[in-house]
Amino acid sequence: MKNRKHALAPYILTFPSLFLTLALSIYPIGWAMRYMFYSYPGYGKMTFIGFDNFRRLASDEMYWHSVLNTLVYAAGKIVLTLPIALILAVILNQRLRGRHLLRAIYFLPTVISTAVMSVVFYVIFNSYNGILNQYLVKYGIVHANVDWLGTKFAMLTMIIIAVWGAIGNYMLLFLAGLQNIPKDVYESAAIDGANGWKKFFYVTVPMLGPVLQMIVLLAITAALKGYESIMVLTEGGPIGKTEVMYLYVYKLFFPISSAGGAVQQQIGYGSAVGFVSALIVGIVTLGYFYLSRRLNNLQD
Amino acid sequence: MESVPAPTTNRNTAAQPGNVSLLVAKLAGGIVLWAFLLLIFLFTLFPVVMAMFGSFKTNAEVTTGATFWPSVWQFHNYAKAWKGANFGQFTFNSLFVAVVTTLGSLLVASLAAYAVDRKEFVGKKLFVAILASTMFISIGAVVLRPQFELMVHLHLQKSLWGVIIILISGHAATFFTLLGFFKGIPRDLDEAAMIDGCTVYGIYWRIVLPLLAPGLGVAGLFVFRNAWNEYILPLVFTMTKPSLQTLTVGLASLRYGTSAAAETHIMLAGACMSIIPILVVYVLANKSFISVTSGSVKG
Repeated sequence: MKNRKHALAPYILTFPSLFLTLALSIYPIGWAMRYMFYSYPGYGKMTFIGFDNFRRLASDEMYWHSVLNTLVYAAGKIVLTLPIALILAVILNQRLRGRHLLRAIYFLPTVISTAVMSVVFYVIFNSYNGILNQYLVKYGIVHANVDWLGTKFAMLTMIIIAVWGAIGNYMLLFLAGLQNIPKDVYESAAIDGANGWKKFFYVTVPMLGPVLQMIVLLAITAALKGYESIMVLTEGGPIGKTEVMYLYVYKLFFPISSAGGAVQQQIGYGSAVGFVSALIVGIVTLGYFYLSRRLNNLQD
Repeated sequence: MESVPAPTTNRNTAAQPGNVSLLVAKLAGGIVLWAFLLLIFLFTLFPVVMAMFGSFKTNAEVTTGATFWPSVWQFHNYAKAWKGANFGQFTFNSLFVAVVTTLGSLLVASLAAYAVDRKEFVGKKLFVAILASTMFISIGAVVLRPQFELMVHLHLQKSLWGVIIILISGHAATFFTLLGFFKGIPRDLDEAAMIDGCTVYGIYWRIVLPLLAPGLGVAGLFVFRNAWNEYILPLVFTMTKPSLQTLTVGLASLRYGTSAAAETHIMLAGACMSIIPILVVYVLANKSFISVTSGSVKG
């Protein structure tokens, strides 16, 4: 009796975790895999339509436009965030006065809600009476208000906001990687006459190797998936200039207030779009993984 | 930050006396370095500081003033947001979601981590693999729909409990964090307790949980932060019930509200009600936040 109780215990202990995971994380994926072959507007009847959703997707310009935007958004965010984060990490990895305070400050954006900060950024960037334009005009840097959320600059603004929220996180990840590099490697490099820049390119970067690869991988997936700040700030507008794929998926599932109202709710089609978007994220991530490994092998 | 210490690079070459050009290079390097640090420092703090000061200004001053300090401190902005714009209710809702989610996630994840670390059972590897997979597969907003429909079956679609249960279901990261902390709890202790006649659950409650406290604290911080900051899930669940909105949802809805232009100062006061509590937590537990984030790439 006692033995049987012991044998059962692990299953009882893991049951809540397993049940919740299966019901709310795994089942929804299966659900989507099924509904992507149906036409279902969210109410009334659902009809099996085979691969029609994918045919529609192939010629859905709005979607492919959003894929392109996603790639631009992700690339912009990564290209700006990672170098800044790496440089900060290298600097703050030294015995510098105030480094603990600086680390804490740079990490601060990651504890604040993206949605809340997006509202604050709206007050700052809004073209009609935003705080940024007030300062720019006051100090004579520009003569007329810049339309930061207009067709020309909206994507750039969204990238800057994303960079603001991400630098601290990647700085810390880099710092962790740097702390694993043994100190004596630097000492022997210094004896060989390597200066700061040489140390950075010939010691730090190669020694970071696998950690760097891991961090870039994380950064790529995170950047491709993010849509919260865009949803709050522009809802994908103006005229689809900041529409990204996962926001488009969201709109197919749930009605959205104003600017993005052009997308009609369609659960079946949304599932198909969500599936293809996840595939795109997977392909880009694997593509990077494959390429970076090839490059590493070439170097050796 | 006024005192500029010499940068530590070039230590052994630049130290030679009389080498003026090297000294100049060193100084220039130091200036560039601190200018860079200062620039990112300002970039990071500017929006947060503007939100804080802006929340004490009048609407006119926020939207046209181009001032830094509030000319007259409008403390009643907060009273107005709290009562008039319903932020009191939003704060309560946010607190409820964050606290219950934190407790629930820690319970579910620690039970599972206890079993995985201390017991042998068939299907253990599969269980860990399933949990790990949920952290990598994302089909975006698609999952919200089946999750929502499940909550309709439980009649929780118009309640914050639906939000809480779904948030708890995403406990994989908490599980792996706690699993890491289990390595530091000696096994002899639970073996000794077992011999003394303690049951598996008694050991969990009397020995594992107290010893796991540091891990629970650190993991709990992250769950709390994520739940407090969550936006899309409570948005979906409160679409037809504004009284259940959390701070994030209530605030973002002001952005597209009809009187948005006249309420910028209230928007900022509301934003601060969400930012300040989590900042206080961050200041108090800064070390834990930073240690866990850096721990997450190792291995």
